[in-house]
Order: sequence, then C-alpha cells, then structure tokens
Amino acid sequence: MPPRLNLLSFARPIPYRSRPSLQCLARPTKPTAPSQFRLYSGAADQPSADRSKQPDAKPLPSVSGEAAQTAEIMGEQGPDLEQGTPVEEVVKGDKEALEKLPKVLQDSIKIKSSTSAPKGSRSYSTSTTSEISGDGFDMGLVGFSQPSAAPEIPGVKFGLPTLPLPRDGNMKHRYDTVVDQVTNLLMKHGEKSVAQRNMSLILQHLRTSQIPTINPARPLLPGAPPPSHLPLNPILYLTLAIDSVAPLLRIRNQKGAAGGGVALQIPVPLGIRQRRRTAVEWILKAASKRRNKGSGKNGFAQRVADELVAVVEGRSGVWDRRNGIHKLAVASRANVVLPRKR
Amino acid sequence: MPPSVCLRGFSQLALDRTAHASIASRCLLTVPRSSCFSTSATRYANPNKKKTGMVAAPKRGVKSLNVKKGRKGVQPDTGKRPAPGERKAMRKRIVLSNNNALEVSSLIDLDKPSVLSKKNEGQVKGLPEEVVDALRAVEAFKPTQGWSLFRRPATLIRKETTQLAKLIKEAEGKGEGETAKTIRRVVVGERMSGKSSLLLQGLAMAFVRDWVVVNLPDAQDIVNAHTEYAPLPGSQPTQYTQDAYTANLLSQILKANKKIFEGALVTTAPTLPLPLPANSTLKQLVELGIVNPDASWPVFAALWTELTQPGRPPIMLAIDGLSHVMRNSEYLSADVKPIHAHDLTLIRHFVDHLSGKTALPNGGMILAATSKSNSPASPALEFSIQVAEARQHSGDVPIWNPYKNVDQRVIDVMKDVEVLKVGGLSKEEARALIEYYAASGMLRAKVDEPFITEKWSLAGMGNVGELERVTVRLRV
Repeated sequence: MPPRLNLLSFARPIPYRSRPSLQCLARPTKPTAPSQFRLYSGAADQPSADRSKQPDAKPLPSVSGEAAQTAEIMGEQGPDLEQGTPVEEVVKGDKEALEKLPKVLQDSIKIKSSTSAPKGSRSYSTSTTSEISGDGFDMGLVGFSQPSAAPEIPGVKFGLPTLPLPRDGNMKHRYDTVVDQVTNLLMKHGEKSVAQRNMSLILQHLRTSQIPTINPARPLLPGAPPPSHLPLNPILYLTLAIDSVAPLLRIRNQKGAAGGGVALQIPVPLGIRQRRRTAVEWILKAASKRRNKGSGKNGFAQRVADELVAVVEGRSGVWDRRNGIHKLAVASRANVVLPRKR
Repeated sequence: MPPSVCLRGFSQLALDRTAHASIASRCLLTVPRSSCFSTSATRYANPNKKKTGMVAAPKRGVKSLNVKKGRKGVQPDTGKRPAPGERKAMRKRIVLSNNNALEVSSLIDLDKPSVLSKKNEGQVKGLPEEVVDALRAVEAFKPTQGWSLFRRPATLIRKETTQLAKLIKEAEGKGEGETAKTIRRVVVGERMSGKSSLLLQGLAMAFVRDWVVVNLPDAQDIVNAHTEYAPLPGSQPTQYTQDAYTANLLSQILKANKKIFEGALVTTAPTLPLPLPANSTLKQLVELGIVNPDASWPVFAALWTELTQPGRPPIMLAIDGLSHVMRNSEYLSADVKPIHAHDLTLIRHFVDHLSGKTALPNGGMILAATSKSNSPASPALEFSIQVAEARQHSGDVPIWNPYKNVDQRVIDVMKDVEVLKVGGLSKEEARALIEYYAASGMLRAKVDEPFITEKWSLAGMGNVGELERVTVRLRV
C-alpha cells in the first residue's frame, strides 16, 4: 500500500494511490507528475456513514464502496477501499459536477483523457465495414483471401470458409422455412417422408398450374410479384398464398372475465409462424373437403394445390374465415388490456 | 313396523293415487311411476349437460363468428367419390407439356440423318412432334417420368443411348458389306437409372429411322388376367390368345406406324377367318383385326409375316417390365393349373424373338427392359442376367442353386441374350441435363461446378431419376 502523503497545502490527510494498473494497461505509458492537489475523497470522511443502525436506512456508500460491496457479493476482487475513491470516478458521467469542479481538477481530468489515445488521433473511428457484401453480419474480412498454403493457419485443414456463410449453410436450416413448416403440418402419424413427397407433389402441381388471375377484391400481400411469375417459382407461390390469408390475430376467450360466467373475447396478436400455421391448417381443412379427382398417392397433394390456387385467385372460403376473425377482433378491441402506464 | 312393510305401504300409496283423485292432488309424490318402486329411470337418465362455450351475447343485429376450437388437426376426407373409371384415367394421364416452362432456344430435334451419330452424346435433344405422337400411341411415356414439367419432350443422349444407336445402325446393316441383323438386348440397371427412358429413346430412334415399332408397353397388363383369354385351336401344347388385348395392341401399332402401313400392300395370301379384299394395304389388314377382336390373333400373325417379307423396314419389338413374363401368369387353364406366361400367344411371339428362335430377316431389334420397382420374383431371369453380365465381362459365371426349382423355359429363352447395363450419368452428362433444367426455368440455381457435383453425389453418383428428384422435383 502506498503511503498516505501529507501534503502541506491541505489540512487533512489525503489517501493517494496510483491509478489501478488494469486501467493503465491499454494506455501508452506517459510519466505524469504527482499532483499537488487532492484527487481522492476518503471513505472515512463520510459523516453519514454509520449514523443509522438499520441497514435500509443507511446511506449508499461511495462509488468505490458500492463497487466493493457488489464485488463481494459476486465473489470477485473489488477496489481496495483503504485507498479511497478517485474524484474522477465520483464525477464520472455527471456533467453538472464536472462543470462545477475546480479548474485544476478539470484540467487534470482533461489531461488524463487525452492520454488515452495518441496525439492526433480522433475520438471516433475513421474506418468502416463494407455493407456491400450482403445482409449477413460482416466480420470485416472483405477481401480476405484464402491462404494458399494450408499450414499457415494451424488447425485449419481445408482453409477458411468464405464469408458471409450462405443462408442454407446450416444443416438444420437448409430448406426454405415455409416449406419446412408446411411439410411438418402435412405430416400424419409421424410419417415425414410421406409428407415430404406430398410437399414435392404440391409444388409440382403449382408449377404446372395455369397462371392465376388475381381477384382485386381479395388483394394479396403488397409487393407480391405479378401472377405470371408465380408458377415458375412454386415456393414463392406457396408462401404468398399462405401469408396472404394468414390472420393477424386470434380470439382468446377469457373465461368469466365478462361477468356471470361469460367469456370475454380478447384479440391476441400472432407471431409469423403462428400466423402461417393457422393459415395452413385452414387450407388443409378446406382441401380435405374438396373432391378427390384421381386415385393413388397424388390425390391429397392435388387437392391442396388446388386450394392454394383458389386462395391466390380469391375463390377460397379461407378468406372469409380470415376476414371474420379480423372483424371480430376489431369489434372486441375494447377488451384488449394494455399494461397500465405509470 | 318392519322397514319393508313401511316401504310397501309408501309405494302402494303412489299407485293408489290415480284411483283417489282427491288424494292425488295433495300427494307429495308428484312424479308418476310405472313400477312399484324403482330408481332405474333416474339412475339411467342422461346426466345434465354441462353448459359449454358461454360467450358474451352478440350485439343485436351483429353476426357473430364461431371461433370455438373444434377437433384439432385435419378432418378426414369427406369429399365426394369420383365416377367409375375416372380415377384410373386421372392416374394414368400423361401430360407432355408445361405451358409455364420456358422454351429452350438451343434445343435441337433428333433428325433422321444424325440420330444415330456419336456426336449427339452428352446433349439434350428434342423429340420431333410426329415421333412424340407415335410414342404416345405405343404408350412409351410413363406417368412417373417427368415429362409434365417441361415445355416439350426432350431427352439426354447418354452413353448408353449412343451404344443403343450403334446397335440400331448395326441392325439396319446399311453400311458397306453389312447385312441386316437381329439384335437382342435386355436393359438392366439400378432403380430409377433410366431403363424405361432408354427403351423410349430406342423406340424414338426407331421411329426417326422409319422402322416398324411394336411395343408391349407393360408386361404386367398382359399377364395379370385382366383381359379375356381363349385357347388357340390346334395348338399343342395349348396356347392362349388374348383377343381384346391383341385388338388394342393392333390399334396402337396402326396408330404408331400409319405411314408405313398405308403405303404397303398385302403380298402374301393370309388365311383369315374374315375375308380380306384383294390388293388391300396393311392398314386395312390391321383394321380388320381391330374391329373383329375374334380375328385379332390371326391378323397379328398375318401382319408379322407381311412385315418379315423382303424389302420391308426393320422392326423394333420392345417390352417393359420383363420379369412379369418370365413366370406363371395369373390365368388358369381348364384344369385349374396356372398358365405359364410363355403359353400366351403374344408373349410366346415375343420370347421366340428374344431367344433368337425366330429371326427378323429385314433386321431389327428385340429390346426388353427390366424393372426394379415393379418386378415379381423371377429367380431364373435374375440368374440369367447375372450369367449374361458375367459372360460380357468374362467374370466368374454363377452356378444355379441346385436346391431351387428352376424355370427351364426362362433359362432357355435367356440363354444367349446380351444385356445392356444402364449406369449413372457422368458429370458432363449431368451438367448438360442440369443446364437444360435451368434453361427451362424449372431449376432456380446457379449452375456451377460445385452445384453439379453436389447434385450428382446426392443422386447416388449420377442416378438420373434421383438427379431429377433432387433438382427439379423439389423433393426434400
């Protein structure tokens, strides 16, 4: 522990310590002359420290004291309390206090902060990461050429992958999300392969179906591609059909909330997967009510594909269901309980 | 008073109540009972239903939506049933065009001079329109094949196709110092490796080269006892004709080879049960068999003798699903014994040519494709194919398991038939095919070397059916 310096110009002893070595590590070493003024306040000089016996009523300790307490709770090494708290730490973040500080202290703080970066450097970064290379997270490795000789990077046998990684790079997310979800919803008795075959057949039917004629009374999602593009991109066709009829809300029946054992209808917003799930369930239900035209393994896929086309063309009854839900949700919007604002 | 007496008196009171009207009005037991004393009625009565789904009453004049959660999941199919025959027609429907697919500008049709050229290898070639019609007539297209995805039918000329083309050239014997030959081949290979497609390519090449094409589209249909049969008079041992099937086959043959049949006159004097006008064409002869199914087999036989007269074009005789005809058929003889498939006249006709017993004097090809997805067990056929393969590669010839029954007729037929093995595509062929898919707009991907290699590997080293599955069928 450094000795407490008894400086002549001050009446009271001032605990002095050098700045914690950890903070100094990143900075270039620059010898600073020992200050002639008080930079630290002692823990012992708090007059209100132990006036109260009850823990609640005790005032908060100083900044270092609080940090020390927290560190003790966390089981870490906190700041040494015997050394006192630097003034900078006390006024840190407090603009008003900074302004009111004596000139010498302000200057010293300014000097300290200016020592953090080499002279002539800016406080903000002047280099930028490129946004060109797609929407993936850029690691600043643009133009990073793969090392020609493998042993240059120890432990990398086949070289580093090119970034950004492709969207289907992860084995578990290699297929389209909508296709994955619909496949799972098509599945019966856990027979996923059958569901996958049906999914493939559905997409095949969408691909060979005629170009749909859009009903202006049933508008699809805004920004939808022209209908002539749909059969060539069956996954988009499927996604568009599902997302267009997906309801935004569901109605939750809160039992007894309306009084007299009567349920209160509360509209609840749905997430994107929930919305799609609801839409797919409606479409599958409507498809199963359709007439089976042929025989064999193709029938169900054919009916689902027909229903999807009907949805896009605005002929399907699924639209009425969605509109009904939305209408009811609007009617019962007064039942929505929002968190009270304070 | 003992309790039983007490109860008796009490219940008696209830019965008496009707008798004494004055008492009845003041009686405590207001519910009339039929028996003396019974609790059954109340015990077996339906329990009071719980009130469910209480929802705040809708406003007057406002339609409410029923959003009760019903039975979860998808309801069982409640759709109406289709009319008889409609289902099969739908299932067997063959669509050869997809209006959504893009036109591939670089696609060149097969033509007569260059169809057998070796230069075509590794290219996707279009089928000419009249060939497509003829192939459709002989039912060469299968519903499981992916014709319905593309603008018009086109095929990849692969290595095996070029081999077949070479054999066709050999059979024609048009070159210097060559004579017409009869080529006999059995197409074998893995499942989905393109055996039926290779058969189709063979038929297409034969059509382009103006051969006469006789195709038995599915061997299963001949032997599964779905068509009528009758013993052939004067045959020893008894053979069986299938009149309805043969008449249908004749109409297919006529539709496919109309141009040749119209221009050829009947030169022999066939003995037919029906009179044939003098100087009639082959078309008239065949039509006679079509309209009179009873005479269909004699007409077929007469047609064959006509076609094997000198100066006629070579003949392509093909069958798909060979293993169905290499065993007992589903038909029964008069003494309720199964009829061997080789005792059916049509099959007999085919296997005589396959075994080389009967040759085609004008040259031609006998092509039989096996199937891996629809093939009943035919150990003799499998053994014969193994032997043929071993012979071709000069490997060890397998020995028949002596503890197994052998179908000697099949072994005899397959004795010296050669096999045409269909393997996987090479990467160059896969690239040509995938580029065609991409050009048709059916595959949305950047076609580069890693992509092709990935798909080629996923397809089990270039199995063409699997390749189609992973690229254009969107099969996850």
